[in-house]
Amino acid sequence: MSPVSWSDVLGMVAGLLAMFSALAVIVLSLTWLERKYLGRLQLRLGPTRTGPMGLLQPVADAVKLILKEDITPTSSDRVIFWAAPVIVVISAFMIWVPIPGSEELVLRNLELGLFYITAFAVIGILGLVLAGWGSANKYGVLGGLRAAAQLISYEIPIIMVVVSVGMLAQSLDLRVIVAHQTQIPYALILPLGLVIFFIAGLAEVGRTPFDIYHAESEVVGGPFVEYSGAHWSVFFLAEYINTFAIAALVTLLFLGGWSWPWQSAALSWLPALSGAAWLTPLLSVVWFLIKVYAVILVVFWIRGTFPRLRIDQLMAFAWKVMVPLSFYSIVITAIYLFYDWPAWTLTLMSLAGLVVVGYLVYRRMMAPARRVAEVKARQADRLSARRAD
Amino acid sequence: MLNSLKGMLLTLASTITGLRQPITRQYPTVPTPVQSRFMGFPALTWDDQVGEPYCTGCMVCIRNCPTQCMSASMMDNPLNAEGQSSRRKIVDYFEINLNRCILCGICVEVCNFDAIVMSHEHEMSTYERNGDRVNLPSLLEIGKKHQRETAWVPPTVLAKARKDAEDAAKAASEKEKAAAGAETGGSAD
Repeated sequence: MSPVSWSDVLGMVAGLLAMFSALAVIVLSLTWLERKYLGRLQLRLGPTRTGPMGLLQPVADAVKLILKEDITPTSSDRVIFWAAPVIVVISAFMIWVPIPGSEELVLRNLELGLFYITAFAVIGILGLVLAGWGSANKYGVLGGLRAAAQLISYEIPIIMVVVSVGMLAQSLDLRVIVAHQTQIPYALILPLGLVIFFIAGLAEVGRTPFDIYHAESEVVGGPFVEYSGAHWSVFFLAEYINTFAIAALVTLLFLGGWSWPWQSAALSWLPALSGAAWLTPLLSVVWFLIKVYAVILVVFWIRGTFPRLRIDQLMAFAWKVMVPLSFYSIVITAIYLFYDWPAWTLTLMSLAGLVVVGYLVYRRMMAPARRVAEVKARQADRLSARRAD
Repeated sequence: MLNSLKGMLLTLASTITGLRQPITRQYPTVPTPVQSRFMGFPALTWDDQVGEPYCTGCMVCIRNCPTQCMSASMMDNPLNAEGQSSRRKIVDYFEINLNRCILCGICVEVCNFDAIVMSHEHEMSTYERNGDRVNLPSLLEIGKKHQRETAWVPPTVLAKARKDAEDAAKAASEKEKAAAGAETGGSAD
């Protein structure tokens, strides 16, 4: 390995700063988009007063959060209380280092990029638990422990699906994974993986209906209960960066990243496209962002539709449905690779898994109603027997 | 599970303009229309045929007002001297303190000259305690606007028209009865 030069270090620092500011702008856009889209989902208008279409609302929010008093409870553990948001936000930012926006646009491409991402995703959990513990607040501790339980449970299906995708692409390098999907995205080859990754990803970033660890009506904000002002906004920032990261990973792993449909055909039809050296990378980034924002809109759509789950429902779903399904996805991927079957067999196998598990979940959801019907039928029988006497 | 999908379709439909609209009203920016029966602040009406107020300043409304929010004075009508108007007296000065008005409508009930109406005006808050004292010209302005917007007809004219129609109908039915009685030889008592 060659010695690190000053220019390398300076380049890395400049790259990190650029990534930081780009992510900050993206978070601002996401908060505006979420308020506006959630408003429309609930037959409201969303912000309208701050600037045209409420476009300055994120700025107003940021100013408000920074100007608010930053309170530290006297009984809190100062060091942990101050370190927790830093841990959460740093892990959220570090996840973005190997995530590419196009073939060229990546801060530092890692051959084990997916491994790195899953590793840093776990560090964020530590920050949440510390935040709850350092606040010296029982709701904080409860929320922190809920976060630990929930995030670690859903980490397993995510890792298993990442492993299946890695097996399919024979690489953990995100650029290689995208290059494998120029013809057919993995969403069509392994739909099971997309479903597991998306649901577990929602749980991983604590979005509704999985926002149990910071549920306002149960643990009054969970780990964030004692935080205010700038410190609270740091958690908020991390949550949105993580949401965007999950959407980006869904796009990269399953929706073909920056490759567009009929890419090679379009390039051959339009020689001008392949001729202009600057145009193709730009189109890649734009296409990638379009896909990521589409996934983000689905996340907001789910938030605007479903109520929050109970913690026991959440854990049962993780361990009884998601974990077995993710192991199933690994097994079918291995069979498909070992026997070298055509790709549609894998699609069929994963769809079969989805249908079977979907039916089982449906039966489980319908069980209370079925039991009520049985009891009623028994009562009616007894009544008619008594009348016959 | 099917209900979840239904719910997702419902929320999706509400994001598409044309399927389900946002129900938010942008109230201060876009005024909400009031019903035609709405009772806002009282205002004075304007007789377009003569070109003067209906009000003669008889002070019946002032004597019946439960909050004493009005005051008025009467003068000789110059148009009557010229022979243009049948009103011998006309209102000289009129003031309503809308801060004290409780929108009860008694003034409209007791008025003998169709001179006062409950207009649709209601957004008249001011920052001064006496900022809502309204004088004769502004009261007439509000009244004219109300007459224009609601195609106002004086209540006595309406009542007279109704009574005329009833009388005509009664007369017609009696005539018919009389005619029928004549045909049957007047046996029906």
